[in-house]
Amino acid sequence: MPPSTPKSSGKKADSEDYSPKKSQEKKKAVKKDEKPAGRDIRGFGSQKPTGSSSTGNGTGKKPITIDDSDEEEEIVEQKPTPKPTTSKHFAASSSSSKKPIVLDSDSDNTPAPAPTRSTASAKAKPPTPKSKPASTASSKRKVIKDSSDEEELEDIKPAKKRQSLAGGLSRATGKKSAYVEESDSSEEEVKPKPKIRAKKEKSVTPMDVDESESSDGDDFIDDDEDDLPKKSKSKAKPKAPPAKKPTPAKKPAPAAKAAKKELDEDEEKKEEKKPANPNWRAAAAARAAGPKNPGSKEIPEGAPDCLAGLTFVFTGELDSLGRDEAMELVKRYSGKVTGAPSGKTSFVIVGDNAGASKLKTIHEKKIPTMTEEEFFEFIRSRKGGQLDEKAMKAKQAEEKKIKQQAEEMEKREKEEEKERKRKEKALQGTGIAAKKVAPASSQLWTTKYAPQNLKEVCGNKAPVERLGTWLQDWQKNYGYGFKRPGKDGMGIYRAVLISGPPGIGKTTSAHLMAKQAGYNPIELNASDARSKKLVENATNIDNTSLDGFFQGTGVQSTSVVDVRVDSRTCLIMDEVDGMSAGDRGGVGALNVLIKKTKIPMILICNDRTLQKMKPLQSTTFNMTFRRPTPPEIRSRIMSILFKEKLKIPPNVVDELVKGVNSDIRQVLNMLSTFKLSKDQMDFDEGKQLVKVNEKNTILTPFTIIDKLTGPYAFSKTSRETLNDRMEYYFHDFSFVPLFMQEHYLKTQPALTNNLNGPEQNLKHLELVSKAADSISDGDLVDRMIHGSEQHWSLLPFHAVQSTVKPASLIYGPGRSTGASGPGAWGGPSFPQWLGQNSKQGKLQRQLTDIQIRMRLKVSGGRSEIREQYMPMLASKIVLPLVQRGTDAVEETIEYMDEYYLSKDDWDAFVELGVDTMSENIISKKIPTATKSAFTRQYNKADHPIAFHKGDMFAASKKKIADMGPAPDNEDVFEEDEPVPDEPSDKGEDDDEEVNDVTKDKLIKAVKPKGATAKGKAKAKK
Amino acid sequence: MSLWVDKYRPRSLDELHYHPELSSRLRSLAASGDFPHILFYGPSGAGKKTRIMCTLRELYGPGVEKLRIDQRVFVTPSNRKLDVNVVQSNYHIELTPSDVGMYDRVVIQDILKEIAQTQQVDLNAKQRFKVVIINEADALSRDAQAALRRTMEKYMNNMRLILCANSTSKIIAPIRSRCLLVRVAAPTDDEMSKVLHHVAKKERFALPSPAAQSILSTSQGNLRKALLVFEAMKMQRPDLNGDIEVAKPDWETYCSKVADAIIQEQSAQRLLDVRGKIYELLSHCIPPTVVLKTIADRIVDKVDDALKPQIIHWAAHYELRMRMGSKKIFHLEAFIAKVMTVYKQFNMIGYTEDYE
Repeated sequence: MPPSTPKSSGKKADSEDYSPKKSQEKKKAVKKDEKPAGRDIRGFGSQKPTGSSSTGNGTGKKPITIDDSDEEEEIVEQKPTPKPTTSKHFAASSSSSKKPIVLDSDSDNTPAPAPTRSTASAKAKPPTPKSKPASTASSKRKVIKDSSDEEELEDIKPAKKRQSLAGGLSRATGKKSAYVEESDSSEEEVKPKPKIRAKKEKSVTPMDVDESESSDGDDFIDDDEDDLPKKSKSKAKPKAPPAKKPTPAKKPAPAAKAAKKELDEDEEKKEEKKPANPNWRAAAAARAAGPKNPGSKEIPEGAPDCLAGLTFVFTGELDSLGRDEAMELVKRYSGKVTGAPSGKTSFVIVGDNAGASKLKTIHEKKIPTMTEEEFFEFIRSRKGGQLDEKAMKAKQAEEKKIKQQAEEMEKREKEEEKERKRKEKALQGTGIAAKKVAPASSQLWTTKYAPQNLKEVCGNKAPVERLGTWLQDWQKNYGYGFKRPGKDGMGIYRAVLISGPPGIGKTTSAHLMAKQAGYNPIELNASDARSKKLVENATNIDNTSLDGFFQGTGVQSTSVVDVRVDSRTCLIMDEVDGMSAGDRGGVGALNVLIKKTKIPMILICNDRTLQKMKPLQSTTFNMTFRRPTPPEIRSRIMSILFKEKLKIPPNVVDELVKGVNSDIRQVLNMLSTFKLSKDQMDFDEGKQLVKVNEKNTILTPFTIIDKLTGPYAFSKTSRETLNDRMEYYFHDFSFVPLFMQEHYLKTQPALTNNLNGPEQNLKHLELVSKAADSISDGDLVDRMIHGSEQHWSLLPFHAVQSTVKPASLIYGPGRSTGASGPGAWGGPSFPQWLGQNSKQGKLQRQLTDIQIRMRLKVSGGRSEIREQYMPMLASKIVLPLVQRGTDAVEETIEYMDEYYLSKDDWDAFVELGVDTMSENIISKKIPTATKSAFTRQYNKADHPIAFHKGDMFAASKKKIADMGPAPDNEDVFEEDEPVPDEPSDKGEDDDEEVNDVTKDKLIKAVKPKGATAKGKAKAKK
Repeated sequence: MSLWVDKYRPRSLDELHYHPELSSRLRSLAASGDFPHILFYGPSGAGKKTRIMCTLRELYGPGVEKLRIDQRVFVTPSNRKLDVNVVQSNYHIELTPSDVGMYDRVVIQDILKEIAQTQQVDLNAKQRFKVVIINEADALSRDAQAALRRTMEKYMNNMRLILCANSTSKIIAPIRSRCLLVRVAAPTDDEMSKVLHHVAKKERFALPSPAAQSILSTSQGNLRKALLVFEAMKMQRPDLNGDIEVAKPDWETYCSKVADAIIQEQSAQRLLDVRGKIYELLSHCIPPTVVLKTIADRIVDKVDDALKPQIIHWAAHYELRMRMGSKKIFHLEAFIAKVMTVYKQFNMIGYTEDYE
């Protein structure tokens, strides 16, 4: 065991104190939720190497040798009654508890921290209890043994599943076989092997998704290797008994407790199994799901700023805090959190299953480590404001700078105020109605504190500077005809396109730089109409207007948006991507304008990858602004706060900035509103403020289903409330239930994880059945909502019944459904229901057509036609074509005529068949020759028609109308009344007429007279 | 050249083969001059519509058989256009308002008023009133039924209603009380075989009794089905001798396949496969209740006696929900999931939890 740092070893004594305390606490936890029972066993597994090392020579970087474990067994056997032993074991284990992870990572390298690890430990669990000293209750052991057997069966499955998830089936099977082989061989080889493995694995770089997948598999094998030898030799891992965690104390309990233990075991297995699916997705989910024992420890209250100047790194899973919460805790006390340990790191807080590479660095750099408990204690005990000299100085320097800036601002404001007053006075004399400039105090903060010089721009310094130089060189480049690229290649562009997210100062910088370069900026934005015409005319770029000459001095003449256009004008086109529907041709016109502009143009947009921005790509210099980092904004905000006398500590400011994604404008707006009510803000208020200002986004149903049925969506560690989940439904309440109905059969419910074989299937079915019932209930509720009663207030209930409840039952990782296409691998897919429903509607209409035609002969309704007549009729009008081919055509057509069925109806008829009569099969069976003979034959003859469909008739009417007038107009002179009216009258008369063709002729023959007469009659009217 | 079932359909009350007392009552009603509104109800294939047409013929003479079909267009208040097919003669008009689903009320209001407000034009007509036949009256929405109520009384002079339904349970009481209820029961086996033999005689061949028996057992009191099966059988095996397997309709074999699939394996994956099949049945216009019933029947045939009552129970349970809800497949799926669970439980543990 590598004694990592002097500090940590020094702490050994402390941790000895902790451990008993901890185990007591744990015991409490056990009572609360029987989960931890599992964890301690897991502890055995993961501690296996630890134990051996501690009992061994103490530098147990190596996997356990058989000798070692023998020794251990003896030790334990000597002390069969566990209670007395505990203290000693605690001592041993406490050292291990400090750095169990280090060792772990040595024996098997786990890149994806959380779930992989826990699977491994879950796996390791069963053999361990078995190997417990004989002193422990034998009945208990039996129980565990059973379960372990079961588990082993299942182990294979998850392994396969995981693999296939990651890489596809072929690979999975390969892996699987490998697994089998290895476990076989390991039965003989035993211990030395892991050693080799460990080395091999170490060479792999973790933290990368692919990697984690592959090594996940390794993990499995690894674990099993460990297990199997143990089992075969029944050599036991006696070191296990005490461990740091609670069960040790519990384990010795008399056999009477065995039953209870069994319960625990069950419970715990449920918990354990979830992570039994370690893939990167599960890992992410586990991380999202949070710590194992949320809230099991009291979160310490420390002195404010007590962590100031310290840098922390977190690795592994903490016991009671989620990663986010832990980071928040550090920030709350002004500490800093970085992602990876480095020389500057003050402490590393190590949790379970810590990342291997981090541990390595820690080891190399000798960074002091802490457990969660120690970390809490550290916060509690440390006094606030302890800073070393350097940090102190830095802080003071910063404060000074802030003060200075604030003073500057103050001064400038005063000057401006003076200037404003002076102007006002001057204007009063002249009698010209001047626009009143609002005094600074009543301006928005965003205007008031808009940067006045380059120094004050937060972030994006380089692009802003380039913009400045470009503007300065513009006239020169204009002289060169934009032929010389110049140093930075910007010399050939007449315009610049700035892109970037909102609120980071694009517009502000553009204005500022334009002013600094001596230009007079004209801004056109989405609030101005910018159609092609307007862009060409209104911008007045060619400066042909005399507008400005006829106004007095002192007042700015208006040309474009209140700004005078002269040679020193710069056009800023803001929100170019907002040029849409109303601004037809806007971008094109703009582009033309750019090509011939005589003044510099600055174009600003949020997203330059849009299709409509394409034309601008070649004509403009592309400049991307990025979100400034919190530190870049901090000092500016701090000086503004200082000036405004608002007391907000820097860590809170950072939190605010981060919360709004570095949107400076929003931070200022938030603060200025906050200022109205309070003068101080603490960490929690800051959090709250960010939360209130959070931008809501609409999720797609796909994402929603993913979130609702994810592998950990309803696990005990999930922090979402019922309301949160119902909220998902309301993102799109018409679609989400359908998606849920489509998806609920496609998961492997997490609730079945503790079972296997047929029992698991049964449980799965039970869950599915419950979910289906709930969906069925949901439909009843839906009927109340959308039916005649319109009980829209039932929507939340519908949310629960149709979406949340089913999800709570069947949440779990996706399952391969054997189908191809999207959703085949368990992801949500688009609901079939919609397609099927419209198909049903279509066929229903066709069936109605068939029914109404047959109605003259048949008494049955629609469903009777479908259920009883159609199978029979098929043998008369479909099957003969299949069996006898062309010969049967005559007969078929005769039958169809008998029932007034048209060729279209015949097609519909075939389409309505299912099973052996389904359209695919039938249409394949009828030879093409027969089909075409059938069609030809049918079209040749006239057929009785039961009635004219409305649309059919309308069509023929039109046709007649088109044909009718042409010959007439020559005979009938002065016929201005529309002729088309006439044939339609005719058509109606002929309503009962059966045939279209005869009608046509008839009309043509009769027309001239009729048309004239009618036309005149009409004219009279 | 038409199917036997249409070819040998009785045209007058005298030709009817069974329910003679009903025929005589209808005849006297038609003769009385005070013809009431009538609600015919009874199972499918029992002869309701045949009797209605016979009665009309009794009322108006052979003129009612000159049918024509019209397609009428209605505009709903929300400006949706609806096509309704109307079958009519000079004396009567027949419509199926339930074709247009939730807009049936508009159809009832428009058409009925129109007919009710015009008097019989034909002076030679035997009756002063016209007859409106409303098919699938039990599928009418409550609103539509309510729209009927007052019209039935107000326009009694010009119009009589004949409603045709499978069951009276979905018809609101006010309408039931305004109608003369006429139940057309399904024919007994004897009556059916009388009809079958009659047809055989007309077609000039003898019907062996084993064949008749198998027809009767498959058709279960549905005379239409019996005749169709009869003809199919005759086509299949012209001599009608020996052990004849009656060909099942396509959808029924498909339902059986679904049922078999359920019995064969019970898992979420299987349920997913079954869902696809159910969708296919539903989209091809097989009514969901029929699907449910056929599947349930088939399953009941195949499972242990101890499970039978339970499966029937659940079938009834979900059929009710299906009728109350709007997305039928949800309930069908819930039913199948339930059956799978129950079946699996029974096979694994030997008993199942009590059902409510």
